[in-house]
Amino acid sequence: MKTTRVIEAVLFASEAPLTAGEIARASGDLSSKDVEEAINQLRLEYESEERSFQIYPLGDGYQILTRPEYAPYLERLDSVTRTSRLSRAALETLAIIAYRQPVSRIEVEELRGVNVAGVLRSLQERGLIDVVGRAEGLGRPLLYGTTRKFLDHFGLQSLEDLPRPEELKITLRAEG
Amino acid sequence: MRLPTPTGARVVGVDDRFVVDLERYQGPLDLLLHLIRSQDIDIFDIPIADITAQFVAAIKGVEQRMTLERAGEFLEMAATLVRIKAQMLLPRRDDLLEDEDPRTELVRRLLEYELFREVAYTLSTAEAERARHRGKGYVPPRPPPKVTELPLDLTLDEFLGVALELPQPLAKRPHRAPVRPVTVDEKIDLWLNSLKRKTRVPFDWFVQRWKTRVHAVMSFLACLELAKRGKAVLRQERHFGTLWVYPSEDDESN
Repeated sequence: MKTTRVIEAVLFASEAPLTAGEIARASGDLSSKDVEEAINQLRLEYESEERSFQIYPLGDGYQILTRPEYAPYLERLDSVTRTSRLSRAALETLAIIAYRQPVSRIEVEELRGVNVAGVLRSLQERGLIDVVGRAEGLGRPLLYGTTRKFLDHFGLQSLEDLPRPEELKITLRAEG
Repeated sequence: MRLPTPTGARVVGVDDRFVVDLERYQGPLDLLLHLIRSQDIDIFDIPIADITAQFVAAIKGVEQRMTLERAGEFLEMAATLVRIKAQMLLPRRDDLLEDEDPRTELVRRLLEYELFREVAYTLSTAEAERARHRGKGYVPPRPPPKVTELPLDLTLDEFLGVALELPQPLAKRPHRAPVRPVTVDEKIDLWLNSLKRKTRVPFDWFVQRWKTRVHAVMSFLACLELAKRGKAVLRQERHFGTLWVYPSEDDESN
């Protein structure tokens, strides 16, 4: 059986991202490198055949997802509703945690100038952040960090995909 | 999926400068940034007196409009601004070179906050883009159902309609004492008959033949009566164990 087809089958059946290592294990005696090569081959194939889906890298894994241009059609189905978007408060809090992790609640509150206890709780419930440790010092406050699901939620491969501070500095100029 | 490169902060309308819907702002830093950016003010040289006046005007009556905690966040910033304004009015001492501009710390906080506000905006765009890619068996998280409060506008007819559906309370039936189908004397005779032919009889065995409670009670009373008269001996090895009825040894000799 062709390696690419085996990997295609494994990815097709999965409802969550799979790492190259996981795919390699399922496919028998393949290395992660073989898997990555096969995935690239499949990607080119889907591209040239204009398939409605593609293999996307998410976090440290891969998942077959429909291409964005088909989203409006999927949304017409009752079973596929629009994703509930995060609030601005949640996004700001996530942004701070993503850059400053591991970070305590107090530090986040100082940066945002508002209380964030409720936001932290709901972000944790959604699995986008988690407690990653405790700080030294008074009261040993909990420290928060982003999760794999955070990367998945924003379609990122790693935290490196976030804009670099240098990139952002351009916005510090006065608004025109 | 590529993240878009941030293309400058959003410009917020200038016209609503003094009529501010505080709910639109994430907090005091957000509001302050809005006041500064929307008026093209140089953030490194904030006219603190003007901005303080605008900020205080914007949050007027804040304590009536939101929770004490949120209001407190805005009021704390107002206090900070007033303090900075006061420090600016004090004559600077030229001999103190390290004398810092009282606005420095505030500017640092504002710039830092603005940076993360910008990242949040980038994340929002990334989130929208990711949502356009659907995985297999995609079931999106649904927003929690809205709790709709039903108005209490029940008519008397509706109420009676439901009330009449309820089952009637059971009518009181006169209590009747059951007629005893058997007497203790009859049971005594039965026990004596059995004990003549057997070395011992389990109490259960005698009761099981008549399944009603009256028989069990009469049978038990009969045993007690026989034991009192010395015609039978009752033995039980342990609690809830089998109760054995033995014919009395004296009785055997007779």
